[in-house]
Amino acid sequence: MSLGTLTAPAGSRVASEPAPGRAVTWLAVRQIRRGALIVVALAAGMTALVVATYAQVMADPAAAGSLQALAGNPAIRTLFGAPIGLDTAGGFTVWRVGTVIAVLLGTWSILATTRITRGEEDAGRWDLLLSSRLPAPAVLLRHLIPVMAVAAATAAAITAVLLLAGTAPAGAVLHGAGTGLLGMFFAAVAALTAQVFPARAPATGTAVAVLGVGLLARMSGDGVTALGWLHWLSPFGLLSLTGPYVHNRVSPLLVLAVATALLTVLALAVARRRDVRDGLLHATAGRRPRTFLLAGVAPFAVRRVLRPLAGWMLGIGAYYLLIGLTAVSVTDFLRDNPAMAGEAAQAGFDGLGSIAGFAATLFAILAMPVGGFVTVRMTAFVAAESDRRLTLLASQPITRLQLLGAEITVTAAAAAVLVTGAALATWLGVTAIGGELAVTDALRGTWNVLPIVLLSLGAAVFAVGWAPRWTGLLGGLPTIGGFLLLVTAESIAAPDWSRDISPFAHLAPVPLAEASLADSAVMLVLATLLTVLGIGAYRRRDLLS
Amino acid sequence: MTNPALRAVDLTKHYGRLTALDTLNLDVVPGEVFGFLGPNGAGKSTTIRLLLGLARPTAGRAEVFGIDAADVARAHRHLAYVPADVALWPQLTGAEILHLQARTGPGADLPYRDELIERFDLDPSKPARTYSTGNRQKIALIAAFATRAPLLVLDEPTSGLDPLMEREFRTAVRHARDRGQTVFLSSHQLAEVEAVCDRVAILRAGRLADVSTISDLRGLHRAEVTVSYTGTAPDLNVIPGVETIEPAGEHRLRFTLTGEPGPALQALAAVEVTGLSMREPSLEEIFLDYYGTETAR
Repeated sequence: MSLGTLTAPAGSRVASEPAPGRAVTWLAVRQIRRGALIVVALAAGMTALVVATYAQVMADPAAAGSLQALAGNPAIRTLFGAPIGLDTAGGFTVWRVGTVIAVLLGTWSILATTRITRGEEDAGRWDLLLSSRLPAPAVLLRHLIPVMAVAAATAAAITAVLLLAGTAPAGAVLHGAGTGLLGMFFAAVAALTAQVFPARAPATGTAVAVLGVGLLARMSGDGVTALGWLHWLSPFGLLSLTGPYVHNRVSPLLVLAVATALLTVLALAVARRRDVRDGLLHATAGRRPRTFLLAGVAPFAVRRVLRPLAGWMLGIGAYYLLIGLTAVSVTDFLRDNPAMAGEAAQAGFDGLGSIAGFAATLFAILAMPVGGFVTVRMTAFVAAESDRRLTLLASQPITRLQLLGAEITVTAAAAAVLVTGAALATWLGVTAIGGELAVTDALRGTWNVLPIVLLSLGAAVFAVGWAPRWTGLLGGLPTIGGFLLLVTAESIAAPDWSRDISPFAHLAPVPLAEASLADSAVMLVLATLLTVLGIGAYRRRDLLS
Repeated sequence: MTNPALRAVDLTKHYGRLTALDTLNLDVVPGEVFGFLGPNGAGKSTTIRLLLGLARPTAGRAEVFGIDAADVARAHRHLAYVPADVALWPQLTGAEILHLQARTGPGADLPYRDELIERFDLDPSKPARTYSTGNRQKIALIAAFATRAPLLVLDEPTSGLDPLMEREFRTAVRHARDRGQTVFLSSHQLAEVEAVCDRVAILRAGRLADVSTISDLRGLHRAEVTVSYTGTAPDLNVIPGVETIEPAGEHRLRFTLTGEPGPALQALAAVEVTGLSMREPSLEEIFLDYYGTETAR
């Protein structure tokens, strides 16, 4: 070969795309578009259903009465915020589905952001991307903008739905903008944690913890008058401060917008300073081997679950401890408002004002975080398979049944630990404040949700066998999908059969009532069937990669 | 009669309409070092996934020492595997991964493993996320060589190793053969295959093109012959097997020879030959002979 200067053939020219950034933006869009469509459709759909049927529901005295009772239920007030403006379709919709949609959008924004930034970087795919003409902060920004655009699209969809339903424009715009800003805020939080931590799991965990603390701060602000200022420190609190359709305050949203902008700038600044595949906090360079729990597939599954379990337990434990601590004051509040208590009794929710009733309602929603936990664990198992971490184990004398079976058993056991922990935290909180709740009642209440959790696990295992890419969606369907369905069905007085599809419709309010063994048995049989079908398919299919 | 270490019988795999592997029939004899060659996309990794039971064949079957490859709990007791692209649990250190592999595998020789760690110059105290491609490969190689499994299946195991480490790899393969272990080596490094393999299989577009010892393969392929002569040049134009005759200087001729050398030698005997040299083809030339026309397309 000649070492002489190569001259380019006449007429040839190196093609150079004028806008390399656009390609990166499209890459990010491609990675989130499916989830984005689901989030926007859910947010718009739930809002539309509730607002469109408001007049019809209020015209029916029985339905209106049970909704009033629902509004008077202290547990529901803790979850959804103080009901204000229930006399308008807009105000009612904001109260009923506003928080649920905000949590949904916030969680999705976090998961999407850390997945397409830190997750892709972890997998080594950003090495190539960052060798392009774009610097790291630009690449980060071009991944963050599509996620924020989804939040903006959600905001636009909610506002449009509320306007089309004929609610007051100021309230519609304020509520839509607030929800969208909240989604952007959590995308910015996740972008920052993805720069600080050198791995995806702690980045996601920390951002979700910020979301959880935000929710807790709003709940504390709602429950304890002296702590009302906490609203200003929580994105959820800021949203409730705007009071759409009633107060229509804009200043809380400005605070949220400024906070989002600051976090974004901070994330970009950190991205400029740090090394690729490293974070602001450095990964340890080396350590002595810890061979604890590495003796087999099952012990290794236990080892892998310990850290996530500790994180989820901390979050769930804190939430239920707070519920325990506030139980006495909110139930007292209800007792002091005979009108509300009367309405509750009218609707057949006699004991809901008692601590046991309060706890029973809140224990039911425990199925969601724990169902989310089992789904996340099975999704992580599929991820280990698809990025080939599982290959070395799968080429050992270990059957597929042992591989998946260990994961299922350990995940189910971890779920049992979570519900037990939630019961103990609630009991501790109630007891500390001088209330009455037997520890066995608390345990009965939280263990009552295990069949729904196992239904989620079964659905996730089914997906692992038949459609691994859909594990997250199928796994979340019974718990998160079921809850959204119930909330929507209850708010629009939908026909009973549609409500009955949700497993939550079959959950007895334990410890207020006895557990329904028949319903639990049906769920357990269904969960077992799904699990067996999933394992059967997993044993026969090709490993991913 | 003993079972072959690996056996493929009409092994076929379709991915949708794509035929990744088409009725492969192959026996690997216990104790041999078997090379598995083919260009990218020829179906080498698919074959290995089928032999390991990681993927299920569309038709045919695979066996490991007479055990159905799908029965991984039994079949994998006889083998250790190094994948082409090693992915490790990022939070575990090298030592922890080696420990996990030893505890879940078919049994490991721990003193030999420590020796291998030394020889491959690996720092096992680092978390796997900090390892380079080569270091990840070293982990899998050390774990595999340290087992006493009678069969080692290695899928492009040296693509990330430097020349020094590649030498260690060849030494480890020879030690494995000396202990009676069978080695199934899929590789692009033809020099490496030439140095360590007893037999090779050549795969082309999902089909087996040839299985042979390397010396037999050479016999089947073009040797390059150079002759020096005085007087008139030999007439080789009609001799079977002789091609591309070209002058190589004054009173020198170069040509390629395929198959039996007899007729060519007789033709040479007719003139006064003063010198004769023959060069056997390298594996690379053989390989290019098989695929050259394809890559040139």
